[in-house]
Amino acid sequence: MRPRSPLHPYLMLAPTALVFGLFFLYPLALALHHSFYAWDLLTPPTYVGLRNYRSLISSGELAGTVGRTLSYSAVVVSLSVTLGLALAVALDRPGRLYAFVRASVFSAYVVSWVAVALLWMWILDADAGLLTVVLRKLHLPTRSWLGDPDVALTTLALVSVWKITGYSMVIFLAGLQDVPRSLHEAAALDGAGPWQRFFHVTWPTLRPSAAFVGTTSLILSFQAFDVVRVMTQGGPVKATTIFVYAIYEDVFVNLRVGRASALIVVFFALLLGLTGLQLWAFRRASGARKGTA
Amino acid sequence: MKRLPRRDALRALAGSIGAALAPSGSAGCARRAPDGRVEASLWFAYGGNNRKVLLALVEQFHAAQDRFRIHATYQGDYFEALAKLRTSLAAHAGPTLTHVIGEVVPYLAEAGVLEPMEPFLDGAGRDSLDLVPALAQDRGFVGGDARPLVALPFNRSTPIAYYNKTLFQDLGLTPPTTWDELRLVASRATTRDGRWGFECPIDWWFWLALVGQAGGSLIGADGAPTLGGESGVRALELWQTMVHQDRSMKPPPGRDYNAWQVANTDFLSGRAAMIWTSTAFLRYLEDNAPFPVGAARLPRGVRASVPTGGTLFVMPRGRPRLEQEAAFAFLRWMMAPAQANAWATRTGYIPVSRAGIAELEASGYYRDHPSDRIALDQLACAEPWPWSPDLFRIEREAVQPRLEEAVLTGKAARAVLDEARRVAVEP
Repeated sequence: MRPRSPLHPYLMLAPTALVFGLFFLYPLALALHHSFYAWDLLTPPTYVGLRNYRSLISSGELAGTVGRTLSYSAVVVSLSVTLGLALAVALDRPGRLYAFVRASVFSAYVVSWVAVALLWMWILDADAGLLTVVLRKLHLPTRSWLGDPDVALTTLALVSVWKITGYSMVIFLAGLQDVPRSLHEAAALDGAGPWQRFFHVTWPTLRPSAAFVGTTSLILSFQAFDVVRVMTQGGPVKATTIFVYAIYEDVFVNLRVGRASALIVVFFALLLGLTGLQLWAFRRASGARKGTA
Repeated sequence: MKRLPRRDALRALAGSIGAALAPSGSAGCARRAPDGRVEASLWFAYGGNNRKVLLALVEQFHAAQDRFRIHATYQGDYFEALAKLRTSLAAHAGPTLTHVIGEVVPYLAEAGVLEPMEPFLDGAGRDSLDLVPALAQDRGFVGGDARPLVALPFNRSTPIAYYNKTLFQDLGLTPPTTWDELRLVASRATTRDGRWGFECPIDWWFWLALVGQAGGSLIGADGAPTLGGESGVRALELWQTMVHQDRSMKPPPGRDYNAWQVANTDFLSGRAAMIWTSTAFLRYLEDNAPFPVGAARLPRGVRASVPTGGTLFVMPRGRPRLEQEAAFAFLRWMMAPAQANAWATRTGYIPVSRAGIAELEASGYYRDHPSDRIALDQLACAEPWPWSPDLFRIEREAVQPRLEEAVLTGKAARAVLDEARRVAVEP
């Protein structure tokens, strides 16, 4: 289609470009600018050059935050993808009972993060929580799941997995509809067992779904804030201070807008790098498939 | 249903966006309530029982006069409310009146965002308010009387000890008066089946009490943060010993007031025999405990010492004068003996009005409610806050997170405080 005027395509793009520029590019540029200043929101900012970046590195805050965020993401992404896939394969059957279980698993994804966090705080309470009481009845060892620096981050990651697995299950369920029944029947006739059928028939068709679920849950895990804010406020001892919460804490608790801005810039670069890596891997994989076809 | 023509709908939408963006009130035009009264906004951070008491007082203020109205909005706990206040000040959209913890007053005052209050006194001078000096700006801060008046006390407190009277009676224990007794009593009241002898939020406020009791102070004579020096270390080591060696103290999980709430809940449910928390929870704990609640002064180290807590009211700059007058009228009314006492006796905070305290004494209130006296008596050993703009950052960034680290991980107190001192002087 040929535009009636050469300006038209740009005019059509303008609303999106405007919103994108106003709410994404401009704040990012602003953050980059502020990252070279020491500023507390109330008194005039003073230029400090690269000091914010230097102190982020020398204090170990950056390494700690990146490390915690990556380990949280690793648990969330790997478990939610695996569990979602397992649930999808197990529940991809007709019948009311299966429909009910599918709906129940997905319902956790629909509930707000705050409600989920409060519910789990009640379950995980170190003294009177449901989990603690049950473990004690069974004479099993129990811990302060949210109060122990060694396990708090894993606990949060598992709560997040519980919350978002329903989502990956639904995507995998949709992916499963694309697997032709005839392929399964042919493989079964050739003597393939259930595991062989899964690895050679189901999984190859599900790969795009897996890539999609992997990417979205990675993004979701990097954006985690509510669950930290409600359940641990970054503690105990910074054990659950992951990226977005660290930024929040620097701005609103420590009165350090400059340092928070430096964190934002680093966070952006990190995400850009990860997305680039993922795109590269995805393109290479699809390129390889095209090459063999 | 009649459909709105699209053009009209767009026009209405544009109008409402325009109205929302227009600077409301900051240009010098005071807001008015529908009944024509001048309306001042109040951002407050009291939850639970204290929130109810405040709102009741606001209603009473509306009934007591017909010129002003106070629009009170709950803004979360002290720290959440402070985060909102700072953001709103940066956006020139702050409230007419709000309240902040003492530690943050010097910072806000030095940043120039607080309205001096003396001009609202009509030449009467700040002494005319007849406030308890240790709770007010004058004596609550080092050199506070020499600075322009920017903060007025309302809900002020000190930490006190609460104990389960029934349990103490059964065990033949009395509230500890020294650190040694504290360890002894806590150990004796601890059981293997999940009852802790002692519980105290790992919070800088209680650590400061211990630092003072160990003979130290936060800031040195030269104005540099010493964090108590050796006293700071001894204070932290007392907690570490009770948590890891005696196993008689539970550090409640959660940050900030979440941990305070846990301590309260544990005390009420009998899982902690004795807790340290603010006198502000006196009524709440008495009303909700299934056992008689005892209150006691904090124990002495080499001396007796407590910090003051709670908040002071401040008026952010930039609101129209009429609104500020409304806010100040409310403040003045709240600080009068009748209201100050109503607030204090219904919550547990210390009355801020000197005349009010005299009235309570005369009426025999303290004879009938000895627990209400504890915090008041402790004012004799209350440590004033240093007037340092860095005080708040020292608290939030340097000290608070590291106390938790030392107590939970058992990391050497001295190393933790050395690190905290380094962060405290970081520009």
